[in-house]
Amino acid sequence: MGRYTIRRLLQLIPVLLGTTFLINFMVWQLPGGNPFANRCGDRPCPEAFVAAMTEQFGLNDPFWLQYLKYLTNVLQGNLGVNFNQVPVIDLIKLAYPTTIKLALLAVAIEAVVGIGLGVISGLKKGGFFDSSITIFTLFLLSLPVFVTGFTLQWILGIQLGIINPTVSAGAPWSELIVPAIVLASLNMAFTTRLTRTSIVENFRADYVRTAVAKGLPRRRVVGIHLLRNSAIPVVTFLGTEIGALMGGAIVTEGIFNITGIGGLLFGSIGRRDYTVVVPVATLLVVVYLLANLLVDLLYGVLDPRIRYE
Amino acid sequence: MSDPVTIQTAGVAAGGEVQETTAPGSGKPRSLWQDAWAELRKQPLFWISLALLAVFIVMAIFPQLFTGKDPAFAELRRSLEPPSAAAWFGYDLQGRDVYARTIYGARASVVVGVLTTVLAVLVGVIMGVIGGFAGGWVDSLTSRIGEIFIGVPYLLGAILILSTVAPAQENPGAVLITAVVIIVLSVLSWPIVARIARSSLLSVKHADYVLAARALGASPGRIIFRHLLPNSLAPIIVVATISMGSYISAEATLSFLGVGLRAPVISWGIAIADHTDYLRTALHAMLFPSIFLSVCVLAFVMLGDAVRSALDPKLR
Repeated sequence: MGRYTIRRLLQLIPVLLGTTFLINFMVWQLPGGNPFANRCGDRPCPEAFVAAMTEQFGLNDPFWLQYLKYLTNVLQGNLGVNFNQVPVIDLIKLAYPTTIKLALLAVAIEAVVGIGLGVISGLKKGGFFDSSITIFTLFLLSLPVFVTGFTLQWILGIQLGIINPTVSAGAPWSELIVPAIVLASLNMAFTTRLTRTSIVENFRADYVRTAVAKGLPRRRVVGIHLLRNSAIPVVTFLGTEIGALMGGAIVTEGIFNITGIGGLLFGSIGRRDYTVVVPVATLLVVVYLLANLLVDLLYGVLDPRIRYE
Repeated sequence: MSDPVTIQTAGVAAGGEVQETTAPGSGKPRSLWQDAWAELRKQPLFWISLALLAVFIVMAIFPQLFTGKDPAFAELRRSLEPPSAAAWFGYDLQGRDVYARTIYGARASVVVGVLTTVLAVLVGVIMGVIGGFAGGWVDSLTSRIGEIFIGVPYLLGAILILSTVAPAQENPGAVLITAVVIIVLSVLSWPIVARIARSSLLSVKHADYVLAARALGASPGRIIFRHLLPNSLAPIIVVATISMGSYISAEATLSFLGVGLRAPVISWGIAIADHTDYLRTALHAMLFPSIFLSVCVLAFVMLGDAVRSALDPKLR
């Protein structure tokens, strides 16, 4: 296990180097033109300003040197300042709590509703409830997130007036529930299906037959033997998706006007403030990769049958 | 981006198994493909999705069959007029007919969904086969390259690439805009196909019939195309059909965010994005494109579901 962990961590290094290089290259090299061109209102920027900014952000250096500087800065925990000289770390500190709240709520909804529905429909395979759940998940899977978002916003916020159509500043937990449902909807459907398949598959397993043959009460067979073993793929799926949720928050945050990391990233892309885009995107990638790694390691803990060499 | 491509590829995705069933002699036991086809034929979901897809594909190729109106014709005095007998779905912000624009919007979604799948499968299978067949450092290299592209969350990666590529284009035409979206989506999704192709190939690589072919002196090309690929195709087909719907959904999301398809192209995502500010006053302008988009994705998801349950023996 220890050796496997170390090997996986070492494998992460080239992937991280590759993704950060890719991000840096795309953001700084692909757009072309001068990123400071439209930064001074209606009049063109003074030469001295452009020269000073170009100098400050090292844009005259060759690209490999820029990337090397970026790497050393990030490794020292220095994310730099944006084009308005605000430290990027401050912007992230402002935005991150909201997004983490939103993601946690979404994962909680996914886990509770998804696993709950999946277990019930898996145990009653082929019944009316099972078929309705299958159709329900089918519909959830085919609704793009922004369609779900606008539908709920229109019905609950505008027609019925139960919720605020947009989330107020500070983002209290209660106002984040509906956006979290929207963010969770797609993965909730996946979780439900995964749980169902897992339950149906394990129901035929030898250990379940043994437990039934021993005369254990059904509650114990389901609760102890079946559920625990069926949870393994579901838990790993949920774990992987935490990382992806942070990226998916871009759309949800936009619809409900939440000032989180997704809004920060998307706004910075629109303003072409690449000094914010690169570190925030890097942060999201790191969270995503670490979540994946953690899940991989957890897999071995949850399922002793899996052995890493 | 010609239409025959659409028909052809959609036909392969939907009915590829049909041709397989007629190939082996009738005396032999049923092959996986015959089994799958028999299984598929019994599912109502499969036929419903096929019917829906047929409608969308006809809509994509011949939108004129459904509407006689010009989707680009705009009359500002009709801006945001609600649905009426003259215009079933009402008018949008520019005073264009929402019904006509929704019908014409099918083309972008179908083209993006189908071509992205084709491109992602093509690149993914080539990379997966190269890695799985060659093994050693080639395998490590292709796997690591794939991991870099999967390492970026899908939506984030697409937004980053598209928003940085877009400013570089001067007045692009509809074809170029669509092509860029297709390429970006497939660049980010080929590693998933490659991973599945590779593991599927590895599972049959040491089968007796492959060793026998090798012992008889078959060339690597013959082994790959005659033995390895046909026997590792099922999981690739499953993932290809399932992901087609998600590509359409992704395209709509990106267009909605303003980084995917743009103005000269008519797309459901753009129509929805253009009218988000009028949610309270003119719901119809975004309601109908949303419904069409969801039903189209639903059709592809249902097809993927049906194909998977037919090809995956574990689910039977």
